[in-house]
Amino acid sequence: MTNEAIDRLEVQLGRLLLGGVLSAASLLVVGLVMRVLNVAPAFAWFLLNAGLIVLMATPILRVLVSLVEYVRMRDWLFVLTTLAVLGVLCTSVMIALQQRTH
Amino acid sequence: MSLALVAAVIVAGSIAGCLGSLLGIGGGVFLVPFLNVGLGLDFKIAMAISLMTVIATSSAVSAGTAGRQLINLRLGMLLEIASTAGGLLAGITVERLTSGALSLLFALVTAAIAVIMVSRLERRNVLDASENVGALGGRFYDEESGREVSYRVKRLPLAMFASLIAGSVSGALGIGGGILKVPVLNAWCGVPMRAAAATSALMIGVTAVSSVPLQYARGYVTPPLAAAAVLGVLVGSRGGFWFGGRARVKWLKLLMACVLFAVSSLYFIRALR
Repeated sequence: MTNEAIDRLEVQLGRLLLGGVLSAASLLVVGLVMRVLNVAPAFAWFLLNAGLIVLMATPILRVLVSLVEYVRMRDWLFVLTTLAVLGVLCTSVMIALQQRTH
Repeated sequence: MSLALVAAVIVAGSIAGCLGSLLGIGGGVFLVPFLNVGLGLDFKIAMAISLMTVIATSSAVSAGTAGRQLINLRLGMLLEIASTAGGLLAGITVERLTSGALSLLFALVTAAIAVIMVSRLERRNVLDASENVGALGGRFYDEESGREVSYRVKRLPLAMFASLIAGSVSGALGIGGGILKVPVLNAWCGVPMRAAAATSALMIGVTAVSSVPLQYARGYVTPPLAAAAVLGVLVGSRGGFWFGGRARVKWLKLLMACVLFAVSSLYFIRALR
């Protein structure tokens, strides 16, 4: 694998993380202001939760993008490594979803 | 939910974020005591909210450092296997721990962090630029010394173990855990301080995501307060970076150690009550 490919991935992931944190922050600002001013409480609640979910989803997306890139680089050791991390994250999300329905 | 509480959490988040980025650690170790002791929130709520801010800090800091080759993506991903496994296990277990036990753990961890910091104030791991860095090593341009720096990763099992511990502590106590693994990566695994810090900053986000969905599902992440804390930390850490560029690392580490000893004593007292 070339160093250029990994450097490009670093830049790409940086943009993804920036996009994720900015979208989450925007949702949270609007949601929080609406919540405090008591404007459309149900929608404010939705925005706040959407913001938190975008925040939590961003690192998961980062791992997914890395996975795609390692497959493209044919770096199988790191494809496996990334799959292992993804497996742990999926387990966490699954347990959380299960708890929520109970 | 009162306006005053939301405002207090925003302020707490800003201060924690500012201190955290000033000292090169996440703000969690300050935010948890602020929310828990200062505002009287339950430890588990304080911890869950803090984990949300850890994700925000991780994304924001990594977005800022990306492109400077400081983040070691491959080493980070490998260590994330251990740190997320630790985070998930702790996230499952924490439900069964009493707040006394959590306070004791928090006191021990903050004391350990302070001791590690004081004992390793000036450590550097730098090879000549021409050396072969191996599959996991890296090189980057160091602005401080003005030359290219390369390094090779040593004692990988130790780095994995430290990440497992840091991940567990993160999932149980709501802190990033970077302050636990960065000194290990730096002192024993050959990773220069700035590369270790940048790689760790990327790792703490994914590590937090290995446990925070559980806390979210359990209802510990109060959305308005979590939003307030996240926004506060994001604003505060910008401020901290600005100061940080103008201060000396050695004195910051000493200052951090003092603050951590104070936090630790506070939690020992709470654990004994």
